[in-house]
Amino acid sequence: MARTKKRMVLRFPADTVNEPITYTLIKEYDVLINILNADITHGKEGNLLIEMIGSKENVGRAMDYLQDKQVEISPVVKTILFNESACIHCGACSSVCFPGALNMDPESRKLLFFPEKCVACELCIKACPLQLFQLNFGVN
Amino acid sequence: MSVRKTFQEINERIKRGEAVVMTAEEVSAMGRTHSPAQVAEKVDVVTTATFGPMCSSGMFINTGHANPPIRMEKATLNGVPVFTGIAAVDLYIGATENHPENPAYGGAHVIEELIAGKDVELEAHAKGTDCYPLKSIKTTINRSNINEMVMFNPRNAYQNYPVAVNQSNQIKYTYMGSLLPRLGNANYSTSGELSPLLNDPEMRTIGMGTRIFLGGTTGYISWYGTQFKTDAELNEFGVPVSNAATLAVIGDGFRMDPSFIKAAYYEKYGVSMFVGIGVPIPVLDEEMASCVMIRNEQITTRILDYGDPDHPELGRTNYSELMSGEIELNQKKIKTSSLSSLYKAREIAELLKEQIDRGEFLLSEPVEAFPKGKGLNSLEIRS
Repeated sequence: MARTKKRMVLRFPADTVNEPITYTLIKEYDVLINILNADITHGKEGNLLIEMIGSKENVGRAMDYLQDKQVEISPVVKTILFNESACIHCGACSSVCFPGALNMDPESRKLLFFPEKCVACELCIKACPLQLFQLNFGVN
Repeated sequence: MSVRKTFQEINERIKRGEAVVMTAEEVSAMGRTHSPAQVAEKVDVVTTATFGPMCSSGMFINTGHANPPIRMEKATLNGVPVFTGIAAVDLYIGATENHPENPAYGGAHVIEELIAGKDVELEAHAKGTDCYPLKSIKTTINRSNINEMVMFNPRNAYQNYPVAVNQSNQIKYTYMGSLLPRLGNANYSTSGELSPLLNDPEMRTIGMGTRIFLGGTTGYISWYGTQFKTDAELNEFGVPVSNAATLAVIGDGFRMDPSFIKAAYYEKYGVSMFVGIGVPIPVLDEEMASCVMIRNEQITTRILDYGDPDHPELGRTNYSELMSGEIELNQKKIKTSSLSSLYKAREIAELLKEQIDRGEFLLSEPVEAFPKGKGLNSLEIRS
């Protein structure tokens, strides 16, 4: 059966932050949820960057459920392009990268890029002294 | 009897292929199991290196004379203003000079392109004199049609540097990189135990005339660097806890390699230049051995708040903590990153080690020592 994969940022209104929404998504709608980044404070609004994987039908039903719960859904279409071969491995980008997509290897002191963790916050674009990061507005 | 070696004796060993050369990181690791006396016995030369953004850098070029000749009074290279106040066709490209319309492009980019052999557009204007009648010129230059290209950097290789953080509520874009608000990150810039001046803190073996690795070729320490300071506070291991000594360096741009000179742009700050420097340190005696055995955890540095214009000190840390990727300040864990590349610094230290091992690079004894007891003046604003 064809499976579909969507990457999105879910913005929870304050009153739903305490509801087990991810649990419901997994249990009731049979979709795989991969949490890439979470920023949730109880009693306040929260943000969750997720990847949702499942059958087209289940993903559709899951999205309807999220809309019912007034969760704001923004698809992630921006990605960061990294010109890795020109990197001098200074590491200036690594401490601004809060999702941990850019990390220094503790042994080799080389910069490692994990695009799957990237939330396209764009902080690395300004932090890189060699301007090796670019924003890509492709369709996910 | 304790070991004593001279520069000459070490050079003889290098020529015979008998010298034992190690990088400063290797000798720091060796220091965990060996005493200074044993290290002095076994090791002849220790290679140190750094590859960081160093603003006070630039290159002299002599373009050769046109026919008819011009005495250049205002000149640009790829649109970047260069200093002409020397002689008719002698120019100095300051690394941090900006292109007036493109803040992310500057002197450092021109220098990198010249080293890489690219064509650079020269435009110059003059009033015209009896001996230099030409009033303007527009042409291209590159490394094969100019007379000289000499890198001269008035201040490089800072001996230690503070860590920058930002306690304010706004992101700060500084020469220490992007500093996230509310202590969101911490940036530092040295190669720690591999850094040249931290391995010879009193500069017993480093001085004017010391032969070094500069930008991929052989260069020299020509003078002490600007803002040279020897009165900084020392920690219990004898290293300054703050920015202290600096080096002025010179080398032949024609022989440099663009992978060791890299133009940089720091958002909302400006252009700077990564300079690759390697300094060999002879292990003359036990005292020098204990200097080169210094380890990251023994090198203290201050943490300054760049969110406040006065840069107050918030605490202290060491390079072992900084390189772990995280430091703790005010009970908060802060992610760290380096502005200088330890990866490239290691590459330089290894290259220099190989050159010495092959007998291609001999050590030079300083022709003159650096000054002692030098402090800094600050600029008084007089009305």
